[in-house]
Amino acid sequence: MIYPQKLNSKKSDKIVKILLIVSVILAILLYIINKLTSPKIPWALLTNVGIIYIWITTIYSIRKNTNIAGHVLIQTIAISIITVLIDYNIGFSGWSLDIAIPIIIMIANITMLLLTIISHKKYIRYAIYQLIIVLFSMLPIILITERLIRNTALSIIATSISGLNLLITLILCSKDVKEAIIRNFHI
Amino acid sequence: MKSKKETKLYWRKLDNSAKIFPISGGKKYSTVFRLSAILTKKIEPKILEEALNQALIKYKSFKVRMKSGFFWNYFEHNPKPPIIEEERDYPCKYIDPKKNNNYLFKVTYFENKINIDIFHSLTDGNSGTTFFKEIIYTYLELLHPEILNDEERKIRKIPEEYNTEDSYKKNYDKKAKSNASSKKAYILKGEKINLGAISAIHEIIDLNDLKKVSKEKEATITQYLTAVLIYSIYKENYLKTKSKKPIKVCIPVNLKKYFSSKTMSNFFSYITVEAEVRKDKLDTFQKILDFVKQDFKQKLTEEEILKTMSTNVKIGNNPFIKPIPLVIKKAVVRLSYIEIRKYTTITYSNIGRIGIIGKYKNYIKYFLMLIAPEPVEKIKCSSCTFENKLTFTFTSILKDNNIEKAFYDFLRNQGIKVEIESNGVLDDISTKTK
Repeated sequence: MIYPQKLNSKKSDKIVKILLIVSVILAILLYIINKLTSPKIPWALLTNVGIIYIWITTIYSIRKNTNIAGHVLIQTIAISIITVLIDYNIGFSGWSLDIAIPIIIMIANITMLLLTIISHKKYIRYAIYQLIIVLFSMLPIILITERLIRNTALSIIATSISGLNLLITLILCSKDVKEAIIRNFHI
Repeated sequence: MKSKKETKLYWRKLDNSAKIFPISGGKKYSTVFRLSAILTKKIEPKILEEALNQALIKYKSFKVRMKSGFFWNYFEHNPKPPIIEEERDYPCKYIDPKKNNNYLFKVTYFENKINIDIFHSLTDGNSGTTFFKEIIYTYLELLHPEILNDEERKIRKIPEEYNTEDSYKKNYDKKAKSNASSKKAYILKGEKINLGAISAIHEIIDLNDLKKVSKEKEATITQYLTAVLIYSIYKENYLKTKSKKPIKVCIPVNLKKYFSSKTMSNFFSYITVEAEVRKDKLDTFQKILDFVKQDFKQKLTEEEILKTMSTNVKIGNNPFIKPIPLVIKKAVVRLSYIEIRKYTTITYSNIGRIGIIGKYKNYIKYFLMLIAPEPVEKIKCSSCTFENKLTFTFTSILKDNNIEKAFYDFLRNQGIKVEIESNGVLDDISTKTK
């Protein structure tokens, strides 16, 4: 063998189709859950915009061969801070912590998971960013224990997705995760 | 040895060909070519790193980074060490200088294979091979000092005579007139591979068989393979359309064969074989081969090559173009290249024999050469020869690999032994088909 194993064109087509179907089902499901649980707050609109955002950033990253993980990390932190500031400025009703941050965390983790599945051979480039995103995703747990969140459902889902993301990553790329930790934290 | 101050101040202009690549290129048009050597043993990265550092001491023209001037880009000494990595990405991808310590080439390895991806601004295939050979020689010497530290390499001159002169400027003819065809080329049709993947298919051809068959047809190897390529395109892609445009094959030419030059910078030109397959009813292989032989005879002459080269040099030297700021040049060139790219169906670059001396040969199986495909020129072909193996490579972004298959089937039907290696992106023609 003279090349590292690459995803076959037909297989990658299949994966893209499956992920597309999953995205559509997820969008519909989120819409239904939204309508059933809290019809007054249209948070499903935000999550569905997030799904579109995931597709745009993932395709852009792969086509342009850029390291999207760094961008995802910066955007995750920046948008989270901005939402808290906006919430604070308009009277702090808590929607930034209850809804916005969990949704942002979900989007970031699903984006990273997609990147890992599609191009796990290049995972070493994403590893350190993904680990930081997973760490950041633990924020809702702290907020729950500090009783800063009233509606805990979305926060629990977000942290669970993050845990799942970490688990799949460890299964697929444990060697790369170990190498990234050694490389970045050597004394 | 140069003083620290001299090294710090070292800079040079880009040669005439090199100027165009950073202006017209980008992530979509990487203008990167790759050379690979398949060795007999697994690569040792630390030794490879040392070999590259030693080779860079001899070939300082590669130890540079590109900077933007007000009117043109230029090269400047790069003080950073080069990065060596295990191969992970597709071949010939855009080299992002920011992620590569500003180098314009990238050395990677995988199992028994060493690759060098080179941005075309830095040099051409011929000089790239010289540098790559130096890396391979040094790597093997470091790995087997007792066997390879023999006389042959000791008495070889350290290439002090290498230089970075712009041989285009030295050799072009101001009075030469353009001979370029005004006809747009047939563009290969088909769906592209998703997610920015590049397929690489290598057809490893028995050189003796190929020589025998091409000799019977009174053609050179390049002529014969060009004809097989046009025939494969005609059968598998062209016939499915109603196009009346010619199949145009761009064939780079090493100018060092025609003009005296020791430059390590670019010094190549090209000829374009323009097959009017529909108009001239070139519907059989024999007719195509006869046409290719005739076209080569007309175009592969010093006079014709000088015309093409001079036309390109004159554009770069035009007193009205020179003082235009780089930013504007970039915008104009990128716009005009949208059209220029429509004048070639496919490129086929044959860098010829890669000569390796003495015992070093025993540690090398074969070499590969690859060129980056582009959104318009969706397939690019290249070949090189080592010992009795000619490796013909298709790099493609098309999902359909019928042209590659037709090429393989044709050679096999002529009684030529061919083996296939690939990177597995298009699986129905896969590794180790014999």
